[in-house]
Amino acid sequence: MFVRDIMTTAVITVAPDATLEQVCEIMHARNIRHLPVVEGGRLVGVITDRDVHSATSALCLTPSQPKGLVREAMAKEVKTAHALDPVEDAARTMRSLKIGCLPVLDGETLVGIITGIDLLDALLRLTGVDQPSGRIEVRLPDRPGGLARLTALIADRLLNVHSILTYPEGGQVRTVLRVNTLETRHLAEALRGAGFEVLWPVDKPWRS
Amino acid sequence: MAELIYGPSYRAYDLGPEHPFSPERQEMALDLVAALGHTVQRIEPEPATREEILTVHDEGYVRAVEALSAGEPLDDAAALGLGTPDTPVFPGIDLAVRSLVGGTLTGARLVSEGRATRVLQFGGGLHHAHPASASGFCVYNDLAVAIKHLTANGLWVSYIDIDVHHGDGVQAAFYKDDKVQTISLHESGQYLFPGTGAIHELGDGMGRGLKINLPLEPFTDAQSYLEVFEMLVPRAVEAFGPHVLVVQAGADAHFDDPLADLALTTQAYEKLYRRILDLADQFTEGRVLVTLGGGYSLHAAARVWTILYLVMNDLPVPGAIPKAWAAKWAERLGGKTAATLHDADPPYERLPNRDEIAQRNQVVAKRLIDALMPYWF
Repeated sequence: MFVRDIMTTAVITVAPDATLEQVCEIMHARNIRHLPVVEGGRLVGVITDRDVHSATSALCLTPSQPKGLVREAMAKEVKTAHALDPVEDAARTMRSLKIGCLPVLDGETLVGIITGIDLLDALLRLTGVDQPSGRIEVRLPDRPGGLARLTALIADRLLNVHSILTYPEGGQVRTVLRVNTLETRHLAEALRGAGFEVLWPVDKPWRS
Repeated sequence: MAELIYGPSYRAYDLGPEHPFSPERQEMALDLVAALGHTVQRIEPEPATREEILTVHDEGYVRAVEALSAGEPLDDAAALGLGTPDTPVFPGIDLAVRSLVGGTLTGARLVSEGRATRVLQFGGGLHHAHPASASGFCVYNDLAVAIKHLTANGLWVSYIDIDVHHGDGVQAAFYKDDKVQTISLHESGQYLFPGTGAIHELGDGMGRGLKINLPLEPFTDAQSYLEVFEMLVPRAVEAFGPHVLVVQAGADAHFDDPLADLALTTQAYEKLYRRILDLADQFTEGRVLVTLGGGYSLHAAARVWTILYLVMNDLPVPGAIPKAWAAKWAERLGGKTAATLHDADPPYERLPNRDEIAQRNQVVAKRLIDALMPYWF
């Protein structure tokens, strides 16, 4: 998944000599929190709702007025992304700097913006339920062939895996599969029989 | 007194000897009703017509079902959810499933024409079938076709789905419809098929606030289930003001069910059925159409649906099961003794995390009600 797959391309921008009042209006009207600042076709800064609030707060030593200019309140050192950056690179940059957006540049041209909300949407897409399916959760040893053996067993039963989510956990790999069957208990039993550590579904806590 | 709809044609929707969605489930229940000394008066329905199926399903999808039913090969069958291990196809499946749809539709007609108030369709409940795809044992959606008939005749419908799986197909068919309220209580999609049915699925457009989902924790017991049902369902139905209830009465939330993880008992089902009939008396002048659904422990489903029949017909629920019935079906009961209609009490040892599960369900129910409040006033 790349930045171009999740970025917003219709980017709303402001000029550096726009007023904070205007910025505030745009943010409210569009329900957004980040505005790239563009001058002469080039990105010169980013202004966020937090920048506006801080600049105009009574707690600020030299507070700006509503007619104050964007260039006074914006961040000038802007981190950017490229459309072909992997999403995880963008996420890492935003996470480590604790910033809420990255304008996306193609050369000097602003072609998009990615925000924390886009990353949450990506997470929901990765973990979401797109097709009717049951859930199987398995802990695999972190060795070649574990996942292949698991999916081969599922394929042998003519079942379709709609999605797989895996993440490392203490030297092993936790694997969540969504499979097109109601009979996940049946499948879990077969997987256990083949030596897999199935975390869900678990045995019922009562005898029946 | 309830009208009972059932026909020998229901047997034809047989997905194979190893498949859990067996027509024997309702046969065992009807046989148990008879063994208890009741003469079952049944209405034998006609199969639904192609046109009636098309009130809900896409023509391209129906053509695919017809082709497979006639034995013609089809390249993209699996993409339509057909011919999978869950929903296999066989020659004649089109007519077989139209027979079930016809039963539910016949029930809807009895209600819309004022010829009956309480109707029990002893089959159907194919709530996973989507307008353009099969899923989870379901090819055509009998409930959706019946509900379409009711709304076409000016009746607003509250659909209550107590099957352990989310009623996704019915919800999808009416997601934007303001004449149909769907309420599904099910084991959370985080754990169980089909994966949907989260509290934020509230409907769209005119139907916003009328699609209601209460996902429950695995191993939810009877007390917790009835508690959250009571928190949510009467208020929701009252707020909508329907003319008729349509109920998918799957029995697979029973603790013995081999496919799911909730922990209801036969006693809980009896209470639940009585509450649903109360709601019909209170809000729809008694009008209620009930279908069967999931329920894959033959031992549990036969008893649960016998209780459903008895309750809907205002008959007493006796203690003992006739020995002859248990002997006749011994093989199908898999060695489980069936001496009493109700489960042992308590049916199993109290779960150590029982209170945690119940609290979690309460929190989810409260969150859901908070989300619905703006639509209720």
